[in-house]
Amino acid sequence: MKNYKNIIGLILLVLAFNACKKYEQFPVDKVPINIVFDKYDSLGTNAHSYLNTIYSMVRNGRNVVGGDYLDAASDDAVSSAAGSSNPVTIISTGSYNSLNLPGDENVWSGTKSYWAGIRMCNEFVSNIDIVPVQQTYNGVSMKFAWKAEARFLRAMFYFELVKRYGGVPLLGDKVYTLSDNIALPRNTFEDCIKYIVSECDAIKSSMLTSPIISPNAYYGRATQGAAMALKSRALLYAASPLFNGGNIDASNPLTGYTNNSVDRWKQAAAAAKDVMSLGAYQLDNSYTDVFLTQNNAEVIFIRQGDNGTAVDGANGPVGFPGANAAGRTSPTQELAEAYPMNNGLPITDPASGYNPDQPYLNRDPRLSYNLLYNGAPWLNTTLATYEGGQSKPNNNQQQTLTSYYARKFMGDFQFTSAYSAHSEDWVIFRYAEILLNYAEAENETTTTAQADVYDALFKLRSRAGIAQGGDGMYGLKPGMTQAEMRTVIQNERRIELAFEESRYFDIRRWKIAETIMNQPRKGETIFQSGPVFTYNTINVLTTKFVAPKMYLYPIPYDEVLKNPNMKQNPGW
Amino acid sequence: MAYCYSKKCFTGFIILMLFLVQTSAAFAQDTTAHAVVKTPGMVTGTVIDQDARPLSGAKVSIKHGALTVITDAKGYFEIKATTGSTLVFTYPFHNVGEVKVKDDRELTVRLLDTYLQSPQTTDILYGTVKQANSLGAVSTIYTNQLTTTPASLYVYALPGQLPGLYTQQTSGFTSAQTSNQTVSGLFTNVVNSHNIQPNDNNEIILKSRGQNVITVIDGVQREISSIDPESIESVSVLKDALSNILLGINSSNGILLVTTKKGKVGAPRISFTAQTGVQQSLGLPTPLPAYQYAYLYNEALQNDGKPTIYSPADFAAYRDHSDPFGHPDVNWSKTLLREYSPMTSYRLNINGGTETARYTVSLNSFDQGGIFQTANSIPYNTNNDLSRYIINSNLSVDVTKKFKVDLQLFGRIQNGTEPGGGYASILNSIYSTPNNAYPVYNPNGTFGGTAFYTNNLLSQTEYSGYIQTNSHDVLANLDLNYDLGSFVKGLAFKAKGNLSIESQTAVTRNLQNQAYIYTPKDSSYAAVGTTIPESNEFHTVTSTRYSYGQGALSYERSFGKNNVSALLMADIRQASLTYDLGTSLTNRAFKAGYNYDEKYFIEGAVNNSGYNRYPPGHQYGWFYAGGIGWQMGKEDFIKNNFGWIDSWKWRATYGKTGNGNIDNYGYFGYTQTYSGTYGQYPQGTDRSIGMGYQADPLANPNISWENAHKFNIGADISMLNEHLKVTADYYHDKYYDLLQSRGNSIALLGTNYPAENLGINMYKGFELSVTYSNHVNNFNYFITGNMSIQSSKVLFSDEEPLPYPWVKRTGQPVGTLFGYTTLGFFQTQQEANAGPTTVAYTAKPGDLKYKDLNSDGVIDQFDMSPIAGTKPLIFFGTTVGFNYKGFSLTAIIQGVTNRQISINDNQYNGFAGIGQFGNLYTGQGYDALNSRWTPETANTALLPRLSLGNSNNTAPSSFYIHSGNYLRLKNAELGYTLPYLVSKKLRLSSIRVFVNGENLATLSGFKGLDPEVYFGNPLNYNPYPIQRVVNAGVSVKL
Repeated sequence: MKNYKNIIGLILLVLAFNACKKYEQFPVDKVPINIVFDKYDSLGTNAHSYLNTIYSMVRNGRNVVGGDYLDAASDDAVSSAAGSSNPVTIISTGSYNSLNLPGDENVWSGTKSYWAGIRMCNEFVSNIDIVPVQQTYNGVSMKFAWKAEARFLRAMFYFELVKRYGGVPLLGDKVYTLSDNIALPRNTFEDCIKYIVSECDAIKSSMLTSPIISPNAYYGRATQGAAMALKSRALLYAASPLFNGGNIDASNPLTGYTNNSVDRWKQAAAAAKDVMSLGAYQLDNSYTDVFLTQNNAEVIFIRQGDNGTAVDGANGPVGFPGANAAGRTSPTQELAEAYPMNNGLPITDPASGYNPDQPYLNRDPRLSYNLLYNGAPWLNTTLATYEGGQSKPNNNQQQTLTSYYARKFMGDFQFTSAYSAHSEDWVIFRYAEILLNYAEAENETTTTAQADVYDALFKLRSRAGIAQGGDGMYGLKPGMTQAEMRTVIQNERRIELAFEESRYFDIRRWKIAETIMNQPRKGETIFQSGPVFTYNTINVLTTKFVAPKMYLYPIPYDEVLKNPNMKQNPGW
Repeated sequence: MAYCYSKKCFTGFIILMLFLVQTSAAFAQDTTAHAVVKTPGMVTGTVIDQDARPLSGAKVSIKHGALTVITDAKGYFEIKATTGSTLVFTYPFHNVGEVKVKDDRELTVRLLDTYLQSPQTTDILYGTVKQANSLGAVSTIYTNQLTTTPASLYVYALPGQLPGLYTQQTSGFTSAQTSNQTVSGLFTNVVNSHNIQPNDNNEIILKSRGQNVITVIDGVQREISSIDPESIESVSVLKDALSNILLGINSSNGILLVTTKKGKVGAPRISFTAQTGVQQSLGLPTPLPAYQYAYLYNEALQNDGKPTIYSPADFAAYRDHSDPFGHPDVNWSKTLLREYSPMTSYRLNINGGTETARYTVSLNSFDQGGIFQTANSIPYNTNNDLSRYIINSNLSVDVTKKFKVDLQLFGRIQNGTEPGGGYASILNSIYSTPNNAYPVYNPNGTFGGTAFYTNNLLSQTEYSGYIQTNSHDVLANLDLNYDLGSFVKGLAFKAKGNLSIESQTAVTRNLQNQAYIYTPKDSSYAAVGTTIPESNEFHTVTSTRYSYGQGALSYERSFGKNNVSALLMADIRQASLTYDLGTSLTNRAFKAGYNYDEKYFIEGAVNNSGYNRYPPGHQYGWFYAGGIGWQMGKEDFIKNNFGWIDSWKWRATYGKTGNGNIDNYGYFGYTQTYSGTYGQYPQGTDRSIGMGYQADPLANPNISWENAHKFNIGADISMLNEHLKVTADYYHDKYYDLLQSRGNSIALLGTNYPAENLGINMYKGFELSVTYSNHVNNFNYFITGNMSIQSSKVLFSDEEPLPYPWVKRTGQPVGTLFGYTTLGFFQTQQEANAGPTTVAYTAKPGDLKYKDLNSDGVIDQFDMSPIAGTKPLIFFGTTVGFNYKGFSLTAIIQGVTNRQISINDNQYNGFAGIGQFGNLYTGQGYDALNSRWTPETANTALLPRLSLGNSNNTAPSSFYIHSGNYLRLKNAELGYTLPYLVSKKLRLSSIRVFVNGENLATLSGFKGLDPEVYFGNPLNYNPYPIQRVVNAGVSVKL
């Protein structure tokens, strides 16, 4: 019988395999939510990291749409990249539908979806309260500022959706899981604007203020000014013809207001005025430095970039072996012509002194800040974009289509032979826009332009380097009617905010895209003969805009299919 | 270098061994010759096997006579026969020998093994059963069917030989990992379709009934495909639910069951085989010569409305090679690849033992050379090379009459080299660099290059250092068997322990050389690229430990005609891979069977199985299977009426099985986790990096294993004195709870949807194998063929509500390809303007015209319908062979029909690759481009008009669907075993010389590329070409 005992022992030994001390059951580098929002962590390190990731989802507009500025899909520029399948070209030629809106502008679904950002904000907002952050700001825990920042970012993500699609579903603070029903209907446009505005109002007192404390560590975080600037922009857009009075589907509350109200302009003007009254911001003395200097007084909110030469490499003129660049953006002749002379008079004014044979002489200095044209000083030489010139060699390489290259956001490289690293933050809100917002909204509330509207424009023109003139009017006609002033403001906005993702939306909200984008885009071909250049304006791209449906983006086709409550925008 | 010496040492060692044992067996054989007094009129002699060991129990009979005698334990026989009569010698699974009686000399008759074997017992998972009692769908091949294939892995021998096993080769050479294992790499490179497992077979995909197969070697799951075929006893594929149910949570997969040889009682049998062969690449397409390339490139530019870049003078210079530096014409594959490369292998097997202890030792050395050229001036090997040493030994000891111990040790050392750039990347460059890109060398002897091609290909191949990979495996198996018969009759206890260790390391010593642009005009040289000095990096690729433990009680007893069997077992398999957390798989199973008189069978099994990567509390599931069988051949009505039927067994199995493949769908995906590795954001004006924290993919807390209901019915029939054997199986398997992302995913969620247990697929099919073997006098021949038909259907796929029926995946076969339907080319601009085209595209003559299925005037995703893969797949193989007086010939033909492949690789169909600044297309062109559309060839064109990057013409469409059918002479061997008298004089038991080959001839539906390993194959875009091998060798037995 002894044998059997051994055998039983053996069996038990085998069964003991199961009773062994278990392997570690869960990987330590994967942490659950209570480590991210840790109720014992008075530093809030991980929670703060989470907020960083939300910040990183803010779009950096530099060459972001398939390698181009979004404004290359407006009348300000075209992409130099060949082919009709270039994302901005697809947009500007109107060859998209609800199925194939280019991925970089499809901010609804896909990898660029703002819903991902909104989800993260909601997760942050719902969980941050338990973190006992010890650091204080204005006498309360810093976490309230963080929470306000997350709410600001959420409001901004919503606004990015609303300005493209009209009303969108508002999710509140809920973080949806796999088992939740998320087939939600869209909220009205009015609700969305209200939500964005109310969020901005609610958070502004908790946020960091400008001038920012310890800019070496905090510069770039959303401030009170940023929230107020967002409110200003949101109300301005909402008051604009596309949504206010010009709703493309008059009785559809999803696509805009169903009535027209001047009061909305008043609210927009007041919101801009509030930012101005803060006294925290002012125009920087140098137009180019606004984009190259960190923490300057004009900037209200940025998306952090790096210190580099990426913008120069992507958009700089071709043909410089020591400063390799791809010449991606070709600004249009229309944009070049929009800049007045340095006396402030438009080039169409006979008194302006414009000479078509020397078209770039004595122009608004912003022309040379934003565009590189034939003869412009660049990289220790004068730029040659005439046919066969150094920067338009016509050799099958990508090059300008219009004779212009985009200079904006680049460093000051007129007198160096190579690019060197410079700040490349993407400016989202700056004081110049607030002035323009104010001027535009205020002008719409009166029949003739008031002094404070003029004043806003004077400030911008003065900073730009336009001569004040004997009458102190910077070339502006005194006593303009509302309509005359509107035209001036619209042009000023265009030339001041070129390539800042403003023009693309402005022509939509002003409902002028159907006129503008159904004309061909123009460029120059320049022929050199000895010292003389001859300029010929040519068409470089036939753009197309189908009104009214293209004023709003189509909701992605399958999102409508999958969600029975999702209403498509009209026309798609 | 060192390993080169070690290789020589190893070879020398084997030869030394041979001399040392020289004197033993054959000599001993002589001394056992009988000195028996002969009776007149009696013929006497000895029957021996191929090892020159006596065959006892062989039948000796006189042809056309009635007299039959049986050889004794020493193989000796005595039979009354007259001179001139013919004696017939038979022994199961040995070729029949006929000998004419000439004089009264004593005969020595040698019977060689037959190529096909079918022993009485067959291996099943964790045991053996009598073939006659098996209810499962199992096909098996034996050693002889494996050794004729000269290749690096035994799986090369499987195509066409096992019914129901579908194979596809995707590469002609192993691809070792050469860098550290990252967490994401863990899942893309290592995780197999079932559990975490590094696999040394990345050349041949094996599928059984549409599912991946799990390799089980001697009762332990281990994905090793490089075992010496000569040390393998058998390879089986187990296909049905009952056969696989003991794998529990992984039982939905097919099993490839490998059993290595065990020691046999007797004096040592020593065999030594040396073989060497040449490999030749197949299916490489022909690149365009430089002048044609330039001409066609110009044409493409013109078609795109761009200025041309080559002038007539350029064409002339390319054509007459008058300016080799300014106008080079380099056929890169000819320049850099060898036409033939060697493959060598040595095998030594020793087998023997006594009644109480048996042993086997097998040594194998294998060396496979790669296809790259090497430079004489480089002292080290830059070619890719695989060399491997394997030792496998098995010792079985009967400690007592009741207690048996079985110890197996397996060791493998594998070294590989490849060029410093990595062979895959170099092949990719060779395939995509045009002939006119740059000269190999400049006039001053420097490497040629251009601003775009900054790293010269010759330099990459021969002068850029090397990567060395090493892998080491040790596997130890201990089996204990204790017969508890004295306690309860028929009861036995079995315990099995296995420990297996694998480590892979890589040493990277690569470098880069500068290239120079030579300008003939002013003889100037401009440096491009960079010089990178030789690196010296060591990577621990993987370090893996597996352990397996099993305990089982088995019971087997007969009560009269009632036969009962039962098995109660528990096992645990643990794996820890590099720094990944250990995984643990457990099974607790009970299996019982009963049969009456081996006529009526019933069997069932239930398994409670779990995997620790599932959510706690939901790790265990129940899996079960059952089977019934009926040996109709034993019924009287067969015996009495159909005497030519030897056996006719019906069998059917059904089971619920599982597939625990959670690791393929994310890392611990059942619970929401967060990682600190993404979304960093610079802080403040300092731009110091602020760490990020982000949610990992959304958790699916309900994730579970996939399940299946598998049904199999089959019959095994043996007729005409076992000359004709037929096995047929029909199966119908429904796989459900398949993990897939839901179609109704809504973007408002703000994150991607995880995989959920949603899908349902059905596979059904029919497998047939027929074998006929017989002999005419000494001419022993056989033919065996098998065929499998497999069809599948997606019964449910969670799709978004789609507006048209033809775009739905549900209802289509699994793996159906979707695309546009081509209606030919637009021949005129008018036709192009009128026809529907893809969005944002203006068609031109020579563009593909697609069918607008929903008639909305636009070609988009709603015009995609099934274009390929809708027919049931048929694959088959045939082996024929004969043996006549020591001469043997076998040939394996293998093929697939109803297979379709999409060759939409712009490298093959057009110019590929985007150059600097996104506007210069570069890339090689192949001779297929000569058949592109031009106005002149509008009616005969096989490809659309040339263009540099045309999204319309390269969209997935029926235009690029070609027949993937093929028929290969996969393998053939011609051998000759020298007469026994000759080998005896040399004091050897046997000498055999042979010539064999692999991939000898191929007939394929699509010409120009290999049907399995080709460019643009989605499974491997730039593959190492498939190799034809011709091999010769000698095999000596002592």
